[in-house]
Amino acid sequence: MKRRDFIKKSALATGAITVPYILPTGRLFAQTGSQMAQHVVLVMFAGGVRHQESILQKYLAESQELDIEGNIMYNMLTGDAPELKVVYGTTPAGQQPGVQPISRILQTPLDQQGTLFPEVRFSKAGTGHFVGLSTGVSGHYGVTQGLRQRPINPTIFEYVRRYTNAKATDCWFVGNGIGNSTPLLNHSDHPDFGYRYAANFFAPNITFGSKGVEFLKGFKVYHPDEELVPIREMQAFLNNSFNLAGKEIPHLYNTDEEKADIKDFIRTTFERLENNQVSFPPVTDNGDLSTIGYTTEILRWFKPKLTVVNMSSVDSCHGSYTSYLKSLHRGDHAVGHLWNFIQTQVPEMKDNTVMMIMPEHGRNYEPNPITDENDWFAFDHDSDANSRRIFTQMVGPNVPANLRVGSELNPVGDAADTVVTIADILGIKQDVLARGLVENNAMSLFDRI
Amino acid sequence: MFSLLVVLLGGGCKEEQYTYGVEDVLVQPVDLSGKKSKTPEQYLNILYANLYQKAMSANQLVKATDVITSIGDKQVAYETVISKFMNDPNIILPTEESMRTDPEAFVKETYQRFFVRVPTEAEKTWMINFINSHPDVTPEHVYYSFAIANEYYFY
Repeated sequence: MKRRDFIKKSALATGAITVPYILPTGRLFAQTGSQMAQHVVLVMFAGGVRHQESILQKYLAESQELDIEGNIMYNMLTGDAPELKVVYGTTPAGQQPGVQPISRILQTPLDQQGTLFPEVRFSKAGTGHFVGLSTGVSGHYGVTQGLRQRPINPTIFEYVRRYTNAKATDCWFVGNGIGNSTPLLNHSDHPDFGYRYAANFFAPNITFGSKGVEFLKGFKVYHPDEELVPIREMQAFLNNSFNLAGKEIPHLYNTDEEKADIKDFIRTTFERLENNQVSFPPVTDNGDLSTIGYTTEILRWFKPKLTVVNMSSVDSCHGSYTSYLKSLHRGDHAVGHLWNFIQTQVPEMKDNTVMMIMPEHGRNYEPNPITDENDWFAFDHDSDANSRRIFTQMVGPNVPANLRVGSELNPVGDAADTVVTIADILGIKQDVLARGLVENNAMSLFDRI
Repeated sequence: MFSLLVVLLGGGCKEEQYTYGVEDVLVQPVDLSGKKSKTPEQYLNILYANLYQKAMSANQLVKATDVITSIGDKQVAYETVISKFMNDPNIILPTEESMRTDPEAFVKETYQRFFVRVPTEAEKTWMINFINSHPDVTPEHVYYSFAIANEYYFY
């Protein structure tokens, strides 16, 4: 054997023994932490939830100077509903608007099934929707971050894909729409992460709404062998003839199989819609509820490792307190439906999913001058102390039941904790913390118990 | 002595340099440098014009752009919208007969339509051979391939 060949082969042999295989994620080995559950669903109960009408169950007492209290979120919280001036429900024919409360879905409220952190703080930055959402998915307050800009620091999707070797279709961000920066939250612009580790995204009310019907429904399905093979062959030739000069067309690194699967999901969802088979909540009369309905389809089809769904209807509180109450009630209905669906309709996720719920920020204590049809005042969110009061709720395996952690005088938890908590559940907490890209004070909520 | 030195130094034999004004050029495939990626609006507008041979209405463009934005993987989004267009009887495609009768003209026209350039000899030869050797390939398949090719994402 020639000397060069010998050295080359020896080196290869030595390398095979001593150099560990480096995973595509950049890690040498699989995640080191133990998993508490294989699936996480985070509901961003967004739009700005006022603490008084949610956790404190004050209904009209600390907003409209009416001595009427009660709980309008009885799937999530324990407490009796208001008995007077009920406006948040549905409207049976011939009756007062909103007079019929929506029936509860969960016999045991989530605060009894799991752990509630009733006094979490949105501790930095202005209480704006995008900063709030961005903080929720990245664990970092984007104080200097503008609108129409992706998060600066990596999102939990990127951490999960990178450190658990998750496929693109293992991570989903379901948006309530495409306004503002919502479609930009499925990955950051961080150079070490970015779109290579992005989540898939749907704004299903558009994808499957009237616009989707016009431009997607009934799309042609090419035969995988007789048609797609020559099409891909021609595409490959055309791409090979085109020098990208080091650039790359941004995509989400779905494999061809995953892309085909997503298309199949789109086609099937239109069919299920037509046959009234989509699992919408019993009452579906706003965008949040239909978003949750489509989310159940995503869970059923893909059984993702991580799903984040964004709601926003409570933001109508800028102009209508009555509409806000209705949306709050429906948000609770949506959460109840989602948890019930996971436990009853997706065997792979039943007892194997932790669900977290968190508003992205709160709302002001003092109202603005706008009044609605009931002469009730509306509320904005201008970074006052009240708009920094939020809550976080967790339910699922390894989550202590019937536990409340923290109080107004002793707040426990921060909006930035969500990312570390999800990482903890999925067994990659140390990987995430080691990157040093979440807030310094961010902790897993399990470590705060 | 001085004059002799000047003659020896200044009048020595010197090889003449010729300059032809030709610079070395690296021959490579169609280059992206200097090109920009199309926005969804541009992509859809051009696609629609290529397939329907008329402009997309502003209303349709807004709706179609929203649909593209509502799907995270843009390749999936575009491919799905294109295949929806392909199912529309109003789309204007060359006939299979014209493609089979004169594949060279068809290939040239397709490159011009989608990539706004003439194909290289290698490209033309490969495409013609491919069409001739695949009797089941239709103009729709060829158009679909061009519409989802990387080059079509740029202008």
